[in-house]
Amino acid sequence: MNLDEMLRMALASLAANKTRAFLTMLGIWIGVASILAIVAIGNGGKALVIGEISGGNQSNVIQIVPRELVAPGLPQPGQVLSIDDSDLAITASFSGVESVNETFYGTAVVQSGDKSDNVTLFAGPADLDRLARFVVVRGHMFTAEDVLSHGNVAVISQSLANKLFGSGNPLGAIITLSGVPLEVIGVAQPEQASLYSLVMGSDNLYIPDTTCEDIFPNWTASEMDVVVQPGVDVQSLANRIVLALNIHAGDPTAFIDSSGLAASVAALVGKVTTILTAVIGAVAGIALLVGGVGVMNIMLVSVTERTQEIGIRVSLGARKRDIVLQFLVESMVITSMGGVAGIATGVVVSAALRALTGIPAFVPWTVGALAFVFSAAIGVVCGLYPAAKAANLHPVDALRYE
Amino acid sequence: MIRLVGVTKSYTVGDQLVPVLKGIHLEVHPGEFVAVMGPSGSGKSTLMHILGLLDRPTSGDYELNGASVLHLPSNELARLRNQHIGFVFQNFHLIPRMSAVRNVELPMVYAGVPRSKRRARAMELLEMVGMANRAHHLPNELSGGQRQRVAIARALANDPAVLLADEPTGALDQQTGGEILRILQDLHADGRTVMVITHDPRVARAGQRILHMVDGEIVREEVPDEPR
Ligand SMILES: Nc1ncnc2c1ncn2[C@@H]1O[C@H](COP(=O)(O)OP(=O)(O)OP(=O)(O)O)[C@@H](O)[C@H]1O
Ligand SMILES: [Mg+2]
Repeated sequence: MNLDEMLRMALASLAANKTRAFLTMLGIWIGVASILAIVAIGNGGKALVIGEISGGNQSNVIQIVPRELVAPGLPQPGQVLSIDDSDLAITASFSGVESVNETFYGTAVVQSGDKSDNVTLFAGPADLDRLARFVVVRGHMFTAEDVLSHGNVAVISQSLANKLFGSGNPLGAIITLSGVPLEVIGVAQPEQASLYSLVMGSDNLYIPDTTCEDIFPNWTASEMDVVVQPGVDVQSLANRIVLALNIHAGDPTAFIDSSGLAASVAALVGKVTTILTAVIGAVAGIALLVGGVGVMNIMLVSVTERTQEIGIRVSLGARKRDIVLQFLVESMVITSMGGVAGIATGVVVSAALRALTGIPAFVPWTVGALAFVFSAAIGVVCGLYPAAKAANLHPVDALRYE
Repeated sequence: MIRLVGVTKSYTVGDQLVPVLKGIHLEVHPGEFVAVMGPSGSGKSTLMHILGLLDRPTSGDYELNGASVLHLPSNELARLRNQHIGFVFQNFHLIPRMSAVRNVELPMVYAGVPRSKRRARAMELLEMVGMANRAHHLPNELSGGQRQRVAIARALANDPAVLLADEPTGALDQQTGGEILRILQDLHADGRTVMVITHDPRVARAGQRILHMVDGEIVREEVPDEPR
């Protein structure tokens, strides 16, 4: 008897009991779908986190931070930081450096009328939006003139705007920072919904660096963003600049290339995410196992129900092998169909997740293929015992079975 | 040629050995029509199961076409059942949820006959037993007599030399039983070996020989006065 014939027979017998076949399949379906969804979320989350951490530096920007900043938490205003004009001059003197920008950040309190809020303050040049990765969605970004003229202007993040002004129009409103009034000229949103913004909080205030220096004269730059000319080896330039700065500071670890730091954190987070995915995946695997037990159970019921049929088939010349294969193929069809449905569901769920949350969840095709092979294998494993039981029935007992 | 030599069969029920067949000697020649009669429980079905290679004797020998079949591997027994022997049962034993024609095709499926040939042959057989117009009916959509016709068509699928029928008319009324008997007689006329177990003297008289079984033994062999 060939495989084609077996498949027809299996499908016919499953079709005879559609609800049961469907429910049995459902166990495998749910198991496979949940494993795939977890793998997809795990992969997506990992890609997101790693992209977030290491993607912070555009490939042509070197981020140099003083060592103190590597410590957890944000610096308080006035905390002694060690980027000064001579550091900027040293960095700018390297060939291959296009521009050097300082950015300041720290925590501060802003007020508007009777409301106040703790914010993360970012200060920098007119292209701070690029360096701190946000986009102005209403109003406009402060300009180079604003920077030159120490303009009392501010761009605030959407969530800060919501807190201070509710649904009212924030543009043109006056907020105060350390008693200094600033005009809100723009509302910003992070470039992408990100883990970074989650960790950093999303109540952000962006002002020109000149203005910041006026308000907080003791602040020094928190980060140096070195834009590299095209075609220059970013990593080696970064190493040379950091070395020069450290020699200048007289401390071999005064400055750190935080791009590299980000990469190692990313690797660590990647590992943690992988382990987490594996653990949760294993839990979902239990669902699949339960599904497999369900298949075995139903196949046993099916063998019992069809005892007389088995006897008839034997009397018509079925070999043991034919009987075994009949039931094996049947259970494999159930689990493979469950597998295919589960894979489809997993793919749809990850696509939906991608669309709804922005987490780049995806099912690698290898995992999909593996899931299919595995679900077919469950069919074999769980069908084997019932099939063997069927094939070893005594023909006469089977025929006489009522 | 079927030959049984001192075949016995016993079952152990609890710790008791229950003899069901007690030394059966039997020869059936190719093309013979043999009827088996006997009271209920005398071992007729047991004998037929042994002849049909569905069961093994406890002792004794069984030769089919001159060779003992007792030590054949199970695959070889399956091949013999498939190619050499056709079964007809009292309760028809059609597979439910398979149409008449699919039931008839089944022995050919196990023989590896290609689909198109199989279907043609099955239709031919259904035609022969007068069931061509019910080919796509399910067993539970057929009357008893119709089911038995389909079962006979199925038994003939691989053109076996031997047809074993265990009370083929037992579940049918007089007239329908008569029709089934006529089909069996036709098959015998075509040269097939037919062995029929029956409680119906009318069916038994169609045989060239009637074996009377009592309590696991063939006690008497009768040649009917007027063969057909
Ligand atoms: N598996 C078994 N275990 C124990 N005894 C059995 C078994 N199968 C059959 N028997 C016994 O064997 C005896 C013969 O049974 P068999 O079915 O051959 O009788 P029969 O002649 O066909 O009767 P009937 O005319 O009612 O069909 C019976 O007494 C029955 O109880
Ligand atoms: Mg009987």
